[in-house]
Amino acid sequence: MEPLIGMGVLALMGAAATVAGASEDLESDVGSQSNPNSQVQLAPQMMYPHRIYNKAISGEPPSNALMCAIGGTTASVLMTAYSMSPLFAIAMGALFAAIVHGSYSISAFLGRPASQKRFKQPVYLDVLRSHTPVIMGYSYITTFCILVVSYLMIAVLGHPFPLPLLAFIWGITVGAIGSSTGDVHYGAEREFQNVEFGAGLNAANSGNIVRTAESGLRNGIDNSWFCAKFGGPVTGIAFGMTVFLSGWVTTVFNPAASLTMGWLSVVAGVILVLIMIIWNRKIEVAARAAFGPYKEDEVAA
Amino acid sequence: MSAGGEPAVAGGAVAPNKIIAFGILGGLIGIYAAHFLDSMISPVFSFMGALGAICAIVWGADAVRRVCSYGLGTGVPSIGMLALGMGVVASMFGLAVGGIAGPIIAFVSAAIIGLIIGVLANKVLGMNIPIMEQSMVEIAGAGALTIVGLSTTMAGTFMFEEVLTFVIAPGYIAVIFIAGGMGILHPFNACLGPDEHQDRTLTLGFEKGGIAMVIAGLVSAVAGSAAMLPTIMIGVFIWYTSFAKFYELTKRDSYKILGSGLLPSEEELQ
Repeated sequence: MEPLIGMGVLALMGAAATVAGASEDLESDVGSQSNPNSQVQLAPQMMYPHRIYNKAISGEPPSNALMCAIGGTTASVLMTAYSMSPLFAIAMGALFAAIVHGSYSISAFLGRPASQKRFKQPVYLDVLRSHTPVIMGYSYITTFCILVVSYLMIAVLGHPFPLPLLAFIWGITVGAIGSSTGDVHYGAEREFQNVEFGAGLNAANSGNIVRTAESGLRNGIDNSWFCAKFGGPVTGIAFGMTVFLSGWVTTVFNPAASLTMGWLSVVAGVILVLIMIIWNRKIEVAARAAFGPYKEDEVAA
Repeated sequence: MSAGGEPAVAGGAVAPNKIIAFGILGGLIGIYAAHFLDSMISPVFSFMGALGAICAIVWGADAVRRVCSYGLGTGVPSIGMLALGMGVVASMFGLAVGGIAGPIIAFVSAAIIGLIIGVLANKVLGMNIPIMEQSMVEIAGAGALTIVGLSTTMAGTFMFEEVLTFVIAPGYIAVIFIAGGMGILHPFNACLGPDEHQDRTLTLGFEKGGIAMVIAGLVSAVAGSAAMLPTIMIGVFIWYTSFAKFYELTKRDSYKILGSGLLPSEEELQ
């Protein structure tokens, strides 16, 4: 394969991954999955009932792995057994995955408040009806983009893994990156806008999440609106960079060409990781200098 | 702290032993029926494997529910993944060496792996959960039967050659792993809380099993399309009836189901 085509495919994969990362984070924000979930779950117990969609499907990596594996499986079956075009098969796979994800979201939304009857958290059906299609929409975009990335890796870059397995692995990855990168924006900031910025979560504030919006009562779509400004895009960039850079080292230094090239790709990878570590450290120090200092008693709490 | 109040030993209307018997017998009967009816009468009958897997999923969900009521709030998803992790190793081993006894060997070896993990968790890690060993055995066994059951539906048999060709090599084992694992972990994770009820949680197990069955039916088109439609239709039927039942039980159990409305007032919360 021409190196230039390889780079082009890699750029396309990076772009698809960026969209997947952003939509994955926003999908989890609409339903308060993962990081912010424990506080949304805790709030009614602390006498703070709310109108926020609480979607405890599982951690984000398994739930994204589920929808991507289902999408990859459906697409693979349609391509193998019915010789459908890849684009159509991927679209159908993503559709089926979104429907299954919607079913999982609904059962999680209904299950938890019903198991917390004593804390008097009502089940609001209008929240269910308005949020579930949004969640399904985002999960469609995520699955579609992950399947595009996986399909390009197999069809163009010649990756040996089959589509469902590769989609499964990328699903876990996008879930893990969304959980660690984007959710912090929602869990640490959006939920606790009523305390000083950077204060951390004092035990006394547990469950005391912000329940009122700019107008009326806050819901999950308000949260995704907020997170679309920073958390979603930053997750997209993180995931896009992961896909692009991890592919870039082996495209520029192709291990198939020679052993030396293989080692050079390892060295390039290590250099990239080192640059990232130093860069992250610089950002953290700069952020502490600009927004700190963090107070001693709050660290202890 | 357990998410949702004081850790209570989970009871339920249906005794654990009955569900264990339902899972093991239902699972094995389904798998063997699928295998033999498929070869003797018609490939249509391979849907029985997925029915066996649903029995195993419901059993696994009940086992997760019993062990996780000891305060494993965020550990629920991990334990579901652990179940399928143990199950996939055992079922591949069992099917590879067992021949016609494959599912039983898979089940027994899963139980042994589960026992070892349970002893390690309690004695070495010091988790000190009284039912840990038994639960790990149950969860691993349920995971193995789920994998073998869904594989049998996909390939039409549990003979290792076919399973290798139609399930493992094309990567469909990934979707078995995650759809089966979510079927086992999601019911209790979704219904976690002090007012959790066994019937509602297990209904959700049936519902998620129905989804896994639909997926297995879809994949069975690769090995031969005879079983596809019946498997998908039965799966959708199980999904729909158990979903409707789950919604009914949610209406029974929840504090209030409102079409819309403001938050409860201070007086109401007292």
